[in-house]
Amino acid sequence: MTVTASKTVSPGRLLTQVAGERQTGVLVVGGHPGGAVYVLEGRVIYAESPAAPGVGELLTASGRLAGRTWQNALDLGTSTARVGRLLVEQGHLTQGELELCVLGAIYDAAYFALSPASASVDFLTGATHWLGPVVHVDPAAINREVSRRVGLLDEIFPDARVDTAPVAAVTRPPRERVTLTSLQWELLVHADGQRTPADLALLLGRAGYATIQELRRMAALGLLELPEVRTEALEFVRLPRARGTAADVQRPVVRPDEAPTVPVVAGVRASAPVPDPPPDPPRHSLVEESGANQLVYRPPRLARRKPGAKLPKEVAGEPPPAHQGTDEVLLKRIRTALRALR
Amino acid sequence: MPGVDHCLQEAMAIPGAVGASIVDYTTGFPVATTGAAPNSDHEAAAAGTADVVQAANSRALYVSALPHDLLEDLIITTAGGYHLLRMVQTDFDSRLVLYVWLDRAQGNLAVARRRMQKLADELVAS
Repeated sequence: MTVTASKTVSPGRLLTQVAGERQTGVLVVGGHPGGAVYVLEGRVIYAESPAAPGVGELLTASGRLAGRTWQNALDLGTSTARVGRLLVEQGHLTQGELELCVLGAIYDAAYFALSPASASVDFLTGATHWLGPVVHVDPAAINREVSRRVGLLDEIFPDARVDTAPVAAVTRPPRERVTLTSLQWELLVHADGQRTPADLALLLGRAGYATIQELRRMAALGLLELPEVRTEALEFVRLPRARGTAADVQRPVVRPDEAPTVPVVAGVRASAPVPDPPPDPPRHSLVEESGANQLVYRPPRLARRKPGAKLPKEVAGEPPPAHQGTDEVLLKRIRTALRALR
Repeated sequence: MPGVDHCLQEAMAIPGAVGASIVDYTTGFPVATTGAAPNSDHEAAAAGTADVVQAANSRALYVSALPHDLLEDLIITTAGGYHLLRMVQTDFDSRLVLYVWLDRAQGNLAVARRRMQKLADELVAS
């Protein structure tokens, strides 16, 4: 099994390339939520994403299969990659049900894995999925469908915050009479202000995309509290409170030959030959907004960061692990297995 | 064991059948297709199918007239053909509809409806 170096590319384009070369393996897409697309000789046989319930979740959450039945099939068939075939051979599912379930799961997970314009993507050559090949889907059809689904959501309600933020219903509906579909009802009843759309999809065993679709519809009707974070939430970093001596990025470099005798303590800045202080960085908008009688929040003086640039080390803290997608997929599998043991 | 492809083959064996597909009606996506489609475009036909089913399901009041009164099928007749939409009820979460396009002169509405009911049931029942 070989692993290509992690690249930051369009996952959809890499899928097309891999499919064109009729390769076999798994495309692991990092980021949030990320996911994995399994390819067998250039055709997609499975896809999974932490934001989309997999075949096991769909079948067990709905009660179609008992957790024990699913776990038995996993125990028997995982090593030989024929979990799907076993379920049909043992008479737990019809071939039609299995195919429809797998097709639904593929397109659902593919939406989350392939919709980012760019993400860190790995291709693990030779990897196969334990479910085994149940259906073979043309990658071009998947790419087309993913971009169509992205557009469909924006037609309903063009606000992507709804897709990821915890779901909370408004306490008072904005109109006298409200008509809900049964899925919308289910979502509202289970929305507790903590669960994200992905949590709700897994909890209810509903397709992740269908969940988001209904949430956007309800947001358009004004039935959901919209999260207050801005759309560019991904780049929003909460800065630490200003403390007595905050790490000052603009501190002039003290060269030993310039100030050889001064001990390096709190007084350094005052005694070192400081050049003219650079002009204040443009104020944070927070400062203007706070009223005159409120405490003025003065953010610690940091060099103004260019969008997308990395924070200085002392502020940024721990960098996220490199292959989050892989970890999440693994954790999800462990959780499925644990749930089946209950 | 009848799979999706087998189901569509059987649908094409209905007298007068011109084309058939299984459509996800929340996204308007053709999960599987065979034969002809109106305007030779299965994807556009699927999107239209989804609109029709959504309209009947959520915007028309027929469906919720009685408790547990679920939508079974929709029949659209045109001068040249019959368009039959049969809901496929799965236990797991899915929103699928079986669509068959019949030629008006050769198709028989009652026969086609019975055959589609059987097909949709066989697809998901063991």
